[in-house]
Amino acid sequence: MSTIATDEHAPTLKFESVERHRVLATILALAVFPLLMPFHALATNILLFGLFAAGYNLTFGYTGKLSFGHAAFYGTGAYACGILISQYGVHWSLAIAAGVTLGGLTAFVMGLLAIRTRGIYFAMVTLALAQCVYFIGFHATSLTGGDNGLRGVNVPAISIGPISIDLLQPFTRYYFMLTFVAFAVWLLSRILNSPFGAVLEAIRENEQRARASGFNIERAKLLSFVLSGLFCGLAGALTAINLSTVGIDIISYHTSGQVMMVTLLGGMGTFFGPFVGAGTFLAMEHVVTAFTERWQLIVGLMFMGLVLFFPKGIWGTILEWVKK
Amino acid sequence: MAADKDHPASFQRRSIIKAMATGGVVLAGGGVFPGILRAQADNIRVGLPIPLTGPFVNEARAVQRGAELAVKEFNAAGGMAGRMAELLVRDDKLNPQEAVTRTIELIEKDRAHFIVGSVSSAVQLSVNNATKQRKVIYNSVSQSDTINEAKDWSKYTFHECLNPHMTAGAVARYAFPKFGKRVVFLTADYAYGHEMVRGFQTVGKAMGIEVLADIRHPLGQTDFSSYFPKILALKPDVLVVCNFGRDQAISFRQAADFGLKKQMKIIAPLLIHSGRMVDGHDVYADIIGGTGYYWGLEDTVPSAKRFNDAFRAANGGTYPTDYAGLGYVGVRGVLAAAKAANSTDSDKVSDALRAIKGDFYKGPTYYRACDHQSVQSMLIVESKPAAQAKNKEDIFNILAIENFDESKLRSCKELGHA
Repeated sequence: MSTIATDEHAPTLKFESVERHRVLATILALAVFPLLMPFHALATNILLFGLFAAGYNLTFGYTGKLSFGHAAFYGTGAYACGILISQYGVHWSLAIAAGVTLGGLTAFVMGLLAIRTRGIYFAMVTLALAQCVYFIGFHATSLTGGDNGLRGVNVPAISIGPISIDLLQPFTRYYFMLTFVAFAVWLLSRILNSPFGAVLEAIRENEQRARASGFNIERAKLLSFVLSGLFCGLAGALTAINLSTVGIDIISYHTSGQVMMVTLLGGMGTFFGPFVGAGTFLAMEHVVTAFTERWQLIVGLMFMGLVLFFPKGIWGTILEWVKK
Repeated sequence: MAADKDHPASFQRRSIIKAMATGGVVLAGGGVFPGILRAQADNIRVGLPIPLTGPFVNEARAVQRGAELAVKEFNAAGGMAGRMAELLVRDDKLNPQEAVTRTIELIEKDRAHFIVGSVSSAVQLSVNNATKQRKVIYNSVSQSDTINEAKDWSKYTFHECLNPHMTAGAVARYAFPKFGKRVVFLTADYAYGHEMVRGFQTVGKAMGIEVLADIRHPLGQTDFSSYFPKILALKPDVLVVCNFGRDQAISFRQAADFGLKKQMKIIAPLLIHSGRMVDGHDVYADIIGGTGYYWGLEDTVPSAKRFNDAFRAANGGTYPTDYAGLGYVGVRGVLAAAKAANSTDSDKVSDALRAIKGDFYKGPTYYRACDHQSVQSMLIVESKPAAQAKNKEDIFNILAIENFDESKLRSCKELGHA
């Protein structure tokens, strides 16, 4: 490569080096985020919804499967963690682990039933199965609280050795959640960088060709779905602790639709996009609501504008500009 | 790749910092609007999370107008030793998670001293969980039996609204002796519906009613015609319709079309003011139900007359609805208690609220000591035809007023209080 060519491509090279350290860059961006954000409770919501969307992105953005049932993994994660803490007094760490496990397990069962379908059929089957989970949650009143929701997921303080962390403090709560999100982001990057991650992208680009190359497509898709479920389960479990309550709406199809919108808005198949999407969407909604009761109209128009002018999502389009 | 090798470290450091800053700014994009939603520093701040969007927007607006009047009156009377009250209204979108986020922000960011509000059972329980943890007083203005139970309740929890046990009980005591004891329930399948049915059955059991069926319908049902042949075949004396909002209006309208009103008496735990205003007399004709407040009370209750006049003066001549009354007294109560305690400290105001026995808008009310349920009167009403109405807001005839005493509430022991 000549010197002139190198100069022309200098921004690309710079960005490549950032991309190589995407985990660090993402964690640092998330760490400075609440300092720029005047609403701290909202910042924590954005962080956790961003994690949910990042988990969803593994199925939607990287494997190319449009799922309409991810609320089920988010919801079961939240309920498993919430029920164990509020009704059985289980330690928060075990409750989070249970939430992650149940999210993955739900994904495994739904995946077995849905993974062989494609396109719109996959979306419909996942939606139907998630609705089944919703109605189980709605009617299992003694466990979930049903329509009244689950209350009392109270983890006011956490003791680690001699240190006690007060989770009712907004900043403390955010950074406590961030430690889990940081670990998840690192793990997600490792998965995407592995040969398995390459297989997922191969499936997204051309499933027939990936199959012809000798990969077990069904198994890879199922594994990606389950891994996605684990991340969404973690996001759900942390949300339960963050808000101290779990409402049945968490499993509704609105949530499944919202996570898809957020991922699209941020940039599907980009590493940091889901967090950008969650930040933009939730903050937009939050701020517009303060000015007008017609917030849905304004947010809808802004959303349309973003989709029209940022077809690859906000982060996806920014990446494209930087790489030009 | 030569350049990369020349200055790898500096490139990486700079670009990582740049990416980090970009990421943070993009993420915060919609959020950095200094100045908005900022509360005054020394005021008494009352947070009001209500569903300004969603199906209960009429009720939410009414709550807001009532609350605004309470704040206005408090400030006009000099506030608390010169400290003025301020209302911070937030949209909870009828979603428990949204409501909790709003409440937490009202407490943490806006430093709200008190929280009043909610027009949903699920939302109020979530809000209560958040306020309880942060030791902030919460006065709920929406129906729920659960919030008074020991598991959810705290010293800082107050329930201004009637609860399903009181509402259904009062209607049952009025209706079953008059109209008969063979009963069918048509119930919306969620907490509100279930709690109302339980209220009717508890009182009805002592009166010897016979429940022929409890038919459950999903929330947001648009067609009830498939339920009516079964109800007609059961030939009940009374059909109890335990649903709310649009479900109520549609089921009433279709019940008339299918001739149910000719064969049986239809009763409902609550007839909502805004619903009757929108849907008109024909839909509500001959149906009997309860309400916590109706402006027509002014003929017999002086405090209602005073409240109506003040509300009309502030709202272009419109009479207050049931939920306007709740918003008014919900906020007025906590402000009166703060004034009495001369403090915004949660413990002191909680004690002061328990001690208040007042007549703010519908006759005497007070909070029961063990669970902070507002003990208050309950009205039994039926729709008034337009020909008899004094004005277009004259929509109900008051058939009876049940003055409550604690014996008609679920006992403290039953609720799990020591």
